[in-house]
Amino acid sequence: MKCYHIAIVESSPIILAGVEAILSQGGDVDVVLKCSSLSELAARMRGVDIDVVLVSVVQSSEIASFSELYDVPLVGMQSALCAPDILRRYASVVTLYSSYDELIAAVRQAVDSPVEKSHADSHELSERERDVLVLVARGYTNKEIASELNISPHTVISHRKNIVHKTGIRSVAGLTVYAVLNRLIESE
Amino acid sequence: MRNMCVCDDIAYLSPKMKIFELIDSNNSLLSIFSRLNIKLPFGDMSIEELCQRDGYSHELFIMLCRMHISSNYRPSHDEFSSEMLPQVIHYLRATHNYYIDYMLPHAEKHLEEILAYCDTLSNKQLRRFYGDYVRRIEEHLKQEEDTLFTAIDSGMSACRAQKFDLDMPHTDIDDRTSDIASLIIKYLPEEAPTQLRCAMLKDIYSLRDDLRRHAAVEMYLLKPLMDKFLKCDQQ
Repeated sequence: MKCYHIAIVESSPIILAGVEAILSQGGDVDVVLKCSSLSELAARMRGVDIDVVLVSVVQSSEIASFSELYDVPLVGMQSALCAPDILRRYASVVTLYSSYDELIAAVRQAVDSPVEKSHADSHELSERERDVLVLVARGYTNKEIASELNISPHTVISHRKNIVHKTGIRSVAGLTVYAVLNRLIESE
Repeated sequence: MRNMCVCDDIAYLSPKMKIFELIDSNNSLLSIFSRLNIKLPFGDMSIEELCQRDGYSHELFIMLCRMHISSNYRPSHDEFSSEMLPQVIHYLRATHNYYIDYMLPHAEKHLEEILAYCDTLSNKQLRRFYGDYVRRIEEHLKQEEDTLFTAIDSGMSACRAQKFDLDMPHTDIDDRTSDIASLIIKYLPEEAPTQLRCAMLKDIYSLRDDLRRHAAVEMYLLKPLMDKFLKCDQQ
């Protein structure tokens, strides 16, 4: 069974400890970072393999700037009523009453579906997606890309889904042509 | 009610219908006549008369026309006869030749005209991509002919023929066909004139639609015919 690498962002130490305790009930996830804010996470996540961030929706004001820089899917932890447009910024949402199974389902949904972000309508590739595309075009496997970019294979797959979604191109050969036409790689 | 046609727009096809009316109602059907090399003129000939003249089952001919017109149409298994199996193989072979001798070269001619306006880098990449695409189609068609059609022709290896995966290669080719369209519509440098791009796109979309129909004929006509009329001698 695949183990997801999770970062938890929660300003309340009690809630953070509770979420971590629930997640430790099964072998599906590994909590690799615990932070009190997204800005702290941004400062500490370099070089850490993170598949998904479980973040309190209280942190929603920081989401836009965080998502601009990082393509990690976000699972929102809802503790109070929230406006629907705020909840739409998350790949999936859980509540403080969610069970272990519901948490894992939300994590899977976030990792397995394309990353929905505030700029989801944009067809511009993010910097990370361009990095992945270049390696895809050079013939790297998902595992090799994950190793090269120091991210998990799940994240690579998520990036690839986004690349296909944004470019409209499905085949590796087609993506290679795209990369050359857009001067992302040199033709050999 | 199983296997009933659900499309009103194909209900008008009947054995007594004149060939002129058939073509006049949907001129894309001309490509069927072209690939089967059915001789013109037809005069006042009906579908039934034409099929009798050229040795085709008119029931099968109407099924093929309906599949060409509507992607939702599924032929009724109750109307299948054993004589249809070799005739479907004949049609599929003719379709393969139609792709290789006509549709792919036609698209390539338009692509070459576009490439004349592209820089060396784009030119090289697109030519390579299209060449690889054509090679994949040719390989797939050859594999079908060598493995599936030959087995059916001989009637000796029915079990092997029935195990042939009809679906997988079509998906890959369909993705690549759509990719060509995406590259030309969205990403090819603007130096390439619009009219040439549109001509190429028309070819590519025609090819994509026809390849999808081809896959449907194999899946919903050839395969059930094989299941019905080819018997495995051994497990």
